[in-house]
Amino acid sequence: MKGKIAAVALVAASALTLAGCGGNPGGQTSGGSTDSSAPAASAALRVWLVGTDTPQEARDYLKTTFEKENAGSTLTIEEQSWTGLVDKYMTALSGSNSPDVVEIGNTQVPAFTAAGAFLDLTDKYEELGGDDMLKGFVDAGSDKGKFYAAPYYSGARVVTYSTDIVSGDVPTTWDAYLTAAKAAKTDTVSGMYLTGKDWRDMMTFVWVNGAEIATQDSSGKWTAGFNTPEGIKGLQQAADTYNAASLFPKDAVEGDQQIPFCEGKIAYLPAPSWVAGMISAPEDAKTPGCASTFGAKEKLHQFAAPGLTAGTYAPVLAGGSNIAVPAKAKNTDLAYKAMQIMLSDGYQKILAEAGMVPALTSQAQFMADNENSKAAQAAASAAISTPAAEKWADVEASQILEDSFSKLVSGTADAATIAKELDDKINATLNG
Amino acid sequence: MSTITLSAGGAAVKPRKANKKKAQPFPYILLLPTLIILVVMVGYPVVSLIITSFQHYGREQVFGAPATFAGLENYQTVLTDPSFWMMLLRSFLFMIAAVVATMLLGTLLALLMMRLNKGFRLLVTVGLLLAWAMPALASVAVWGWLFDTSYGIINYLLTQITGSDWTGHSWLANPISFFLVLGLVIVWQGAPFVAFTLYAGLTQIPGEVLEASQMDGATPVRRFFLIMMPYVRSIFTVLIVLSIIWDIRVFAQVVALQSIGGIAEQTSTFGVWVFMKGTAGGNYGVSAAAALIMVVVMLVISFYYVRQTLREDNN
Repeated sequence: MKGKIAAVALVAASALTLAGCGGNPGGQTSGGSTDSSAPAASAALRVWLVGTDTPQEARDYLKTTFEKENAGSTLTIEEQSWTGLVDKYMTALSGSNSPDVVEIGNTQVPAFTAAGAFLDLTDKYEELGGDDMLKGFVDAGSDKGKFYAAPYYSGARVVTYSTDIVSGDVPTTWDAYLTAAKAAKTDTVSGMYLTGKDWRDMMTFVWVNGAEIATQDSSGKWTAGFNTPEGIKGLQQAADTYNAASLFPKDAVEGDQQIPFCEGKIAYLPAPSWVAGMISAPEDAKTPGCASTFGAKEKLHQFAAPGLTAGTYAPVLAGGSNIAVPAKAKNTDLAYKAMQIMLSDGYQKILAEAGMVPALTSQAQFMADNENSKAAQAAASAAISTPAAEKWADVEASQILEDSFSKLVSGTADAATIAKELDDKINATLNG
Repeated sequence: MSTITLSAGGAAVKPRKANKKKAQPFPYILLLPTLIILVVMVGYPVVSLIITSFQHYGREQVFGAPATFAGLENYQTVLTDPSFWMMLLRSFLFMIAAVVATMLLGTLLALLMMRLNKGFRLLVTVGLLLAWAMPALASVAVWGWLFDTSYGIINYLLTQITGSDWTGHSWLANPISFFLVLGLVIVWQGAPFVAFTLYAGLTQIPGEVLEASQMDGATPVRRFFLIMMPYVRSIFTVLIVLSIIWDIRVFAQVVALQSIGGIAEQTSTFGVWVFMKGTAGGNYGVSAAAALIMVVVMLVISFYYVRQTLREDNN
């Protein structure tokens, strides 16, 4: 009898456990529901911001301004993580409990505009800023002639260093920069911050040598460009530089760089321009920095990574975010009002002061006249974005680039093999 | 899957109706609430999974565009993908290793608990409960920190003890050691359940039987294999099958570990592969097809054992 009960228990238990693995493509809602029938006039608005990039001051400004202008309504900012964002948004935006305003990475937004995830804002284009909005971000947020996602901010990758670790002149050419980074390496200090899966910084090696991730021909077909003499040279250079200059893990993603920087473990740090602000934060801040040691204002310097010849800049990844209203959001009118606040001068001024490039070209005047923003603007002038392909988000989600660069720096495959593998997978994904 | 398993269970139970009782509606009424819950929570998702596996279902469809019929195309895509077969092999090898280790450790722990005095048994019980009750993601975070490349205590201790330099050694970069760490997490969390269940079973063995065998001169090893094992055999079977199911569909731990390090392509298991194709890759049709294949594989495994158990039972 015991056996019978056991068998029945097994069937029941396996039924329950297996149910957990069944995919649910219909995108069922999860979590508690909120304002299901709240009138548009007053509602609890939910805004999703990603990562810690948006300064606290801007968050407070958005909340207070919105709640003052729309009496009776509340605005809550829910912070999301950059890791796995595409997956998360696919589920959240298709469900009945969708947030009202979302921030999304500029390289991820095309997958969502093409899928119809966002509210069509074509008739609001002029009101939001028209051609004054950053063009590359408007393009990323548009699909088939319709406008869905507005620019939020843009940022370029600059090189940050502390005079406690690095002495001497700022390198003026790419080769001089690599030589300086390799020379700065000791047993505990990395000459350059590079991790094996940090494709965003590794791509600069490929771009500076003249290759592209992928190009589109007139018929709309994408061709990846790693398996070219320039591409292979770039990959090889990235692997050599990693092995000669970095002590960071071969299989880690780019992570909180301010932590090792504040431990004095990094000479040259290629990172988004606002990371300098995180480094120079006080030791007791919510996200602690090291204002009294390596991150002291007079010790911390930035420059745009130099190009092959003096006076030019190396192409870095054009980073940044878009903001959009999900098509399934319940309070679209209020959401649009929140979006307007986020694009307003008052709000963008705070972002600009934190080292980000504002959403509207005319707001660039708010950027501080310091070394950091000058470096950011110089780097932005040479920045390159990822291919404007609808399926690009799939390339990021499948971790093709992370896996390949990790294998490359581990030496488990040579640059030519990696280049071919990358091209095959990217071609298959973008044209699939 | 579950509906099929249930019908499998139902079919296997049928012979017992030989005992014959008059058909009465009351037992069925009692079953009804359970059935309704199963149909809603399990039946509907499975049916929608089957439908999706025969459709071209991408991101547009998630946001409301109509799906088109794909025939067997999704299944063809899955079965002709070399990475699918690699993943299948990887998942099975890991499952076998993890189940063996879990059962071994769990049995040893259960035997230990039989011998301990009250105080120590309480201590072990609490320790096991804590490991078992810990959320999967939290435990991966803890193990991830232990094995961290830059700051991990394992590398630090190894450097101190062995004298060679382990600083910066990445445990997750190599697929073999990735699965070693993953195995530690899984076995550590799986063994307590095995230990508790077996311990409960072992305490039911009549003391006089063991005593008699001891007096007849049976060694502890022989006592275990010839007396204790037959008593708890059905429990053992259930535990093995449950472990197989849990270990082959391990998902959260792998994804969490991949976000710490390792190469995703070389370390993905069944569930992760399905997730990468579907939710992350936007190809829900293909991922549904792969998920159904997974369901069939697990159905085959559990069906064999369920039948086996019932047969032994009837004898």
